[in-house]
Amino acid sequence: MSRGLRQLGRLRAACSLGTRPSSFGLSQSRGLTGALPELTKDRYPHVKRGDYATLDENHLRFFTELLGTNRIVTDPSQCEGYNVDWIKNVRGYSQCVLRPKTTEEVSRILAFCNEHRIAVCPQGGNTGLVGGSVPVFDEVVLSTSLMNEIISTDDTSGVLVCQAGCILESLDTHLADHGLMMPLDLGAKGSCQIGGQCGTVLGLEAVKANGEILDCLSTLKKDNTGYHLKHLFIGSEGTLGIVTKVAIHCPPKPKAMNLAFLGLDSFESVLKTLKKAKHELGEILSSCEFIDERSLDLVTSRLKLKSPLAVHPFYMLIETHGSNNDHDEEKLNTFLENVMAEGLVLDGTATNEVSKMKNIWELRERITEGLPLEGYVFKYDISLPIESFYSLVPAMKERLGESAVRICGYGHLGDGNLHLNICVKEFTQDVLKRIEPFVYEFTSKLKGSISAEHGIGFRKPKYIHYSKSHTSIELMKQLKTMMDPNGILNPYKVLPS
Amino acid sequence: MDDYKFLFKVVLVGNAGVGKTCLVRRFTQGLFPPGQGATIGVDFMIKTVEVGNDKVKLQIWDTAGQERFRSITQSYYRSAHALILVYDISCQPTFDCLPDWLREIEEYASSKVLRILVGNKIDREDREIPAHVGEEFAKRHNMYYLETSAKESDNVERLFMQIAEDLMKQARNRDLPRYDSNTQSINGRTSTISDSNCCSKLQ
Repeated sequence: MSRGLRQLGRLRAACSLGTRPSSFGLSQSRGLTGALPELTKDRYPHVKRGDYATLDENHLRFFTELLGTNRIVTDPSQCEGYNVDWIKNVRGYSQCVLRPKTTEEVSRILAFCNEHRIAVCPQGGNTGLVGGSVPVFDEVVLSTSLMNEIISTDDTSGVLVCQAGCILESLDTHLADHGLMMPLDLGAKGSCQIGGQCGTVLGLEAVKANGEILDCLSTLKKDNTGYHLKHLFIGSEGTLGIVTKVAIHCPPKPKAMNLAFLGLDSFESVLKTLKKAKHELGEILSSCEFIDERSLDLVTSRLKLKSPLAVHPFYMLIETHGSNNDHDEEKLNTFLENVMAEGLVLDGTATNEVSKMKNIWELRERITEGLPLEGYVFKYDISLPIESFYSLVPAMKERLGESAVRICGYGHLGDGNLHLNICVKEFTQDVLKRIEPFVYEFTSKLKGSISAEHGIGFRKPKYIHYSKSHTSIELMKQLKTMMDPNGILNPYKVLPS
Repeated sequence: MDDYKFLFKVVLVGNAGVGKTCLVRRFTQGLFPPGQGATIGVDFMIKTVEVGNDKVKLQIWDTAGQERFRSITQSYYRSAHALILVYDISCQPTFDCLPDWLREIEEYASSKVLRILVGNKIDREDREIPAHVGEEFAKRHNMYYLETSAKESDNVERLFMQIAEDLMKQARNRDLPRYDSNTQSINGRTSTISDSNCCSKLQ
């Protein structure tokens, strides 16, 4: 069930739980194909390297003694895959990648780096979209990819405890044997099962910059004793500590799944259909996704996927999860008849056959993969009030005109989360200036968020103020100073300097 | 919203490969898609036609013929106004299965539903079921009968237009299949309407 990628994508962005979507084209060996992007230090000359140590023989000896020669990468060509983000937006020049297996190893690495002022860039699956998971300069990369052990699974409480480097797909496969699945509410799924959202990450274990291990790995659903420290790490993107273990609350796997793919002629119809879906499908509505015509065109033309529908300006993907298929079909059937009768939906297909559901989901999930084939991509992950959800796309089209190859929008309609993508032949400062800060000002005016789930990373710290108050940012800075006084953890990211 | 007078739901059923999807594509898009893959689940689309001076919307549901892809289809019979049962005139087994399809229709659809038997693929030269055999079968089961070719576009327009006209007449006479408007009931197949009045003739 690969759409979970989006779900965990958020979790990963939030707390550096490593995942690497298999369909994303980054090979297991981290080999890179195609042209490399310009070095980040050259493209962003205003960013200056911090006062950190330069790696020397003594440092490398310590790391090698700790991890052995197999779990330290120093060969420049092998390091390349860890230096470039997968959308090829940014590139660092780290010459050392560490691959610990245990919390204790992470702890010893950080304690050492803190003492010697060595900057560290924590990296999970390197699927980040805002340049947060690759080094800016020569930071040591701490990869969690070997920290992939599942520690425990409780069938009754539905609590999974695992190391931070577990890949979602394998977790999902593992959970299936227990009749469970990864939580639906993280990022991907429609708004409807709101219940468990803040409860999904029950607890975590993290290593602080000085090497101290912080155990917040509670598996209790309710625990209101003192500050909820685990939340400090959610959204910290590895700047406050390195998450080493997580406890996740997993819902039971649904017995019945149905999927409808719909074609619509206006955004107004999309909104009305969403509203009807919420009312008529109620508790079984598990996903409500939105794709515009240019996004679908990308996967059909560039990736040669087949769409089951004729061409329409907008498409929706509506999925239901339930425990009784007769009941679900009945509801979905009535809903589909009603939206067609009202003229909201012109064309569609519905199925509960696994292979067809997978094919339909691919139309949505592989958009991200198709984008880089157009050239350079400016990606924006924005939350907007639902009624103005789509307004940014036509606004950008008007502003950029011919200078963009493709401007398209898709996203999690239920969450009001729009992925706006602007493809240009190649990166130029001129286009960048026409897009930013306009896109953030526009979002801010509509009271949206400039980063719904991708995080802030390297590319967006100077825009964080569009979504967070001065007071909040100041408190974040104080927390950072307190928890990482030497600033060794993921420098140049998240907070503005 | 739209200025249409009537909205009718038309459902196509029949064995796999008889040409249900091609009939629908021919009618809604004017296309004959060669190498059409098996329908999985159900596809649905809207086509607006004019009957006299009135706009009529046909909501067409194209169901999967293959057993393993059909689990979702039964609930779609329920609120149908017309059912098109399709077989392939060059393929005896698709004709032999008609009684099975009728049993399913009896079980799930309203007794007042307009039923049309369609022998498709008359462009083919290896016919196995003579027209009169199809016609007799239709007569015996109170169905309207028509032979079509989606490939050559023979009788396709006529098929759907006649359905639209006939349903309009039924609607004006308040003789459409009725379905319980509260369809939320969880375990409910709609109970069939009691009177046995049959409306099988298209004029």
